[in-house]
Amino acid sequence: MFDTILLLVAQTTVLLAFSPFLVGLIRKVKARLQLRRGASVLQPYADLAKLFHKQPVISTTTSWIFTATPYIVFASILTAGLLVPTFISQTPMNFAGNIIALVYLLALGTFFLMLAGLDAGSAFGGMGSSREAIVASLTEPAMMLAIFAIALTNGSTNLSTIVHKTALLEGIVTDPSPHLMALAALFIVALAETGRVPVDNPATHLELTMIHEAMVLEYSGRYLALLEWAAGLKLAVFLSLIVNVFAPWGIATAVTPTAIGIGLLVYVVKTAALAVFIGVIECMFAKLRLFRVTDLLGVAFILALLGLLFFYILRS
Amino acid sequence: MQGLSSVGSQLVDLCSALLLLTCFAIVAQRRLSACVDLFALQSSFLVVTATLVAYLTGNQHIYIAAGLTGVIKVLIIPRVLKKVIDHLNVKRELVMHVNVPTGLLICGGLVMLAFFIAQPILPLGSLLTRDSLAIALAIVLIGLFTMIARQKAVSQLVGFLVLENGLFLGATAATHGMPLIVELGVFFDVLIATLIAGIYTNRLQDAFDSVDTDRLTVLKE
Amino acid sequence: MTIAVLVVLIAPLLAGGLSLVVHRSAWLHGINLTSIGALVTAETVLTHTVLSDGPVTTLGELVYLDALSTFILFIIGVVGLACSFYMRSYMDEQVARGVIAPGRLNLFFFLFHMFLLAMVVATVANSVGVQWVAIEATTLATTFLIAFWKRRESLEAGWKYLILCSVGISLALFGVVLLYYSSLHVLSDASQGLNVTALLPVADRLNPHVLKLAFIFILVGYGTKVGLVPMHSWLPDAYTEAPAPVVAMLAGVLEVVAAYAILRVRVIVDHAVPFAFAGELLALLGFASLVTAAFFILIQHNYKRLFAYSSIEHMGIAMIGFGIGGPLGTFGGLFHLMNHALAKSMAFFAAGNIHRRFRTVEIEHVQGLAMAQPWTATALMISGLALSALPPFAAFASEVQILTALASQGVPGMEFAGTSGMVTVAVSDQFSRVALASVFLIAAVLSFGGLLYRITGMVWGTPSEGIVRGEPWTLGHLPIILLTVALIGFSMFLPQPIKELLEQATSILVIQ
Repeated sequence: MFDTILLLVAQTTVLLAFSPFLVGLIRKVKARLQLRRGASVLQPYADLAKLFHKQPVISTTTSWIFTATPYIVFASILTAGLLVPTFISQTPMNFAGNIIALVYLLALGTFFLMLAGLDAGSAFGGMGSSREAIVASLTEPAMMLAIFAIALTNGSTNLSTIVHKTALLEGIVTDPSPHLMALAALFIVALAETGRVPVDNPATHLELTMIHEAMVLEYSGRYLALLEWAAGLKLAVFLSLIVNVFAPWGIATAVTPTAIGIGLLVYVVKTAALAVFIGVIECMFAKLRLFRVTDLLGVAFILALLGLLFFYILRS
Repeated sequence: MQGLSSVGSQLVDLCSALLLLTCFAIVAQRRLSACVDLFALQSSFLVVTATLVAYLTGNQHIYIAAGLTGVIKVLIIPRVLKKVIDHLNVKRELVMHVNVPTGLLICGGLVMLAFFIAQPILPLGSLLTRDSLAIALAIVLIGLFTMIARQKAVSQLVGFLVLENGLFLGATAATHGMPLIVELGVFFDVLIATLIAGIYTNRLQDAFDSVDTDRLTVLKE
Repeated sequence: MTIAVLVVLIAPLLAGGLSLVVHRSAWLHGINLTSIGALVTAETVLTHTVLSDGPVTTLGELVYLDALSTFILFIIGVVGLACSFYMRSYMDEQVARGVIAPGRLNLFFFLFHMFLLAMVVATVANSVGVQWVAIEATTLATTFLIAFWKRRESLEAGWKYLILCSVGISLALFGVVLLYYSSLHVLSDASQGLNVTALLPVADRLNPHVLKLAFIFILVGYGTKVGLVPMHSWLPDAYTEAPAPVVAMLAGVLEVVAAYAILRVRVIVDHAVPFAFAGELLALLGFASLVTAAFFILIQHNYKRLFAYSSIEHMGIAMIGFGIGGPLGTFGGLFHLMNHALAKSMAFFAAGNIHRRFRTVEIEHVQGLAMAQPWTATALMISGLALSALPPFAAFASEVQILTALASQGVPGMEFAGTSGMVTVAVSDQFSRVALASVFLIAAVLSFGGLLYRITGMVWGTPSEGIVRGEPWTLGHLPIILLTVALIGFSMFLPQPIKELLEQATSILVIQ
């Protein structure tokens, strides 16, 4: 019992502390690839600290949704993060929900964020929300299918079980094809959900292109800090998901100090490597026009579907 | 040895799946030069697959085929195609006969079809992999579809080359390589065919001021 | 023996190489005629050997010659020889008129020889894989010959031909891969896995599923080269745009070689799979080609396309013959291949002459051919009659054989829409045979009417103003006379060696 609580606290701390670093790392990689020195990887921490100290300004036309949203978004994403194994395969919260709960927790945050974008009544907020609605409605089926493909190959919808089995090379990981398809699909979904480059550009506030930034345009002070932190958390959740579902090796499978130490180290290295990869991708590709985003997400959907089909075909 | 061959066959399967994955990327890609890059990437996966099969089965002549694939399909043909694209006045394909999401759905259907067709003959495989033959057939069908769905001569050519890659995968993974003389002949033919089609593309550009094969409507009933 | 095989292979290769370095027109023609002459001579020797000693395997199992391949080699030789004579006058005139730059003449000859070489290799190859490589090589060699005039139309035709045939051929390669896949379980020596000599003895032990799949891919693939409906769309375009000697080779020989490639695999497949499987597929494509082509012949206003569709029709008829199978159908099919090759090359020689004089391919702009070009008019009439399969010509004999086989045996497995949709219609076997024979007859009569109607319209009347009248004798007329003699002669008196070749080839294709 005591172990569980300790692990719970540890996982929360890791997620909260680590996520701004990932954001900073991607920015740093991009800067270096563009031959700039770039801000320090620790800059996001400073930004958050600064924002928490500023007084928020709230439009008089807004309702309670506007002020509640940052807390709801932050809480839902953090809860989702606790369902995903990070440095230990058996997450302390694994009794609380499975892979489907994860999808809906993330969707809950997105839903409130869209509402909040509309709530302030500014043109940009509405535009951002409608764009987010397009993206979210396309990513969700792709994500569900990809996750089902993984769940089917492992015979469980519980993320901890999936990761634990894969890490110990148990179960029916006989054929890599379904995994590969699901991985490709989930990666595209991750890029779209976390607002990375081919879909959204987190670095600009250009009204023609922005999605996430448009929705949070009206926020300031601690509310903005919470939303930024939540965005970082979401990135961390997706990176952990991809890293641990598809390459869980090194993760702690038992509750011993050494295993956890190694697990923590491996986790940091793996997610950081994936973050660097995303940074490279952001430099290599231009942002897609909004109406081309459907093509990309279509690819994700088809790949996830194929992953599922491969599973059935290969099993028979 | 059992463990080695099991890991080996998984690796071969993984490579085949990667080949299939690049097919989808090509179907979804509109920029001509990116299509060529993806083709080069696909061919390098093919090289890895062939090398793996050569190592696992001990068939020396597959190394030669793998090397030739590397030289011809990863280096020479993409360069030739890049040169051809430089000469063109279009860099990307804006209008297609079938739009990208529909095309992807159709390709998904083609993969199922390929597995359906190949199902009765897969159990025969006393061979390295169960599903490489079906994936090869799927790649062949997707290549064929790309040729139909695209308008630009260059992307049709890429479709043809993808089709060839599928054939080569089939020959390597399912039958451990055909007799060397046949393999060499096939390579020669593919290389010449690409060169010829490249020359054609340039001539079409000069004569029709476009490489849209839809413009080729002078001859009809 | 081996020497004759070497001559057949090396003559075109050497001639192609020499053509690249020689520039004088007379030299080029000399080399061409010499190499074709050597080819035909060597073929005669080979025919003799095969007929007296049976099948020959040589050059380290790479070459396999039996009556069937010798027969195909014979068609290549005859049509190639006729073409070479025709080219003597045709190409020189093109150069004189400035259509072809003198510097490009050797390129033409080089490609022509490579084309010939590829077809010979495809015919004598023992390995189905090598045969595939050679047939793809024919595509590559001919695509620039088709687009030789660099006009927009010829570029279009050449591109279509290249792409469609390459794709078709690639599908055939998948079939070859599958064939190899099936042989791996049976043969101990994998390097022999594609050789006809190795496959035939063990053919009944090959896996039927794989063979069925392989045959479908090979039929569709090589069927594209044959020009069977629905893979035929490149054919009329290419035949309209290519220079006349090239078309004569395409229509006369290439189609035959592609059909031969299908037949080779079919024999292997028939050992392991019920005979009806391949027969039904062949007959299905045959009927589709026959009926579609008959329709297009009726509405045609371009004489080159007219002959192109007539090619599709006749290949369809031959395929029906092979589909029916049995000694009668197979013999008729093979005989028909030869008759068609001779008549069609002659028709395209005539078409080339007409095009040179009238500068148009529209039928309605060509009139009074009998006055303008009496030799050509005669050739056109004779080839037209032969292609309509009228009695004094050999094509009549072969068509009647196929029709008789159809009426007496029916197409195996084709129970005339035995299950049409959801309702199973019980149709008597006899009814299906009569129905198929009627379809065959109606299509043949339609194309016969369409063809002759168009041709007579061109031959009679008075030529329009500005068309030169009269036709001096050239070397290009020699093949027309020779082919006429052959076309009429073969129906009344088939020379003993050819007859034996045909009979032995039939017995190779028919499985007891």
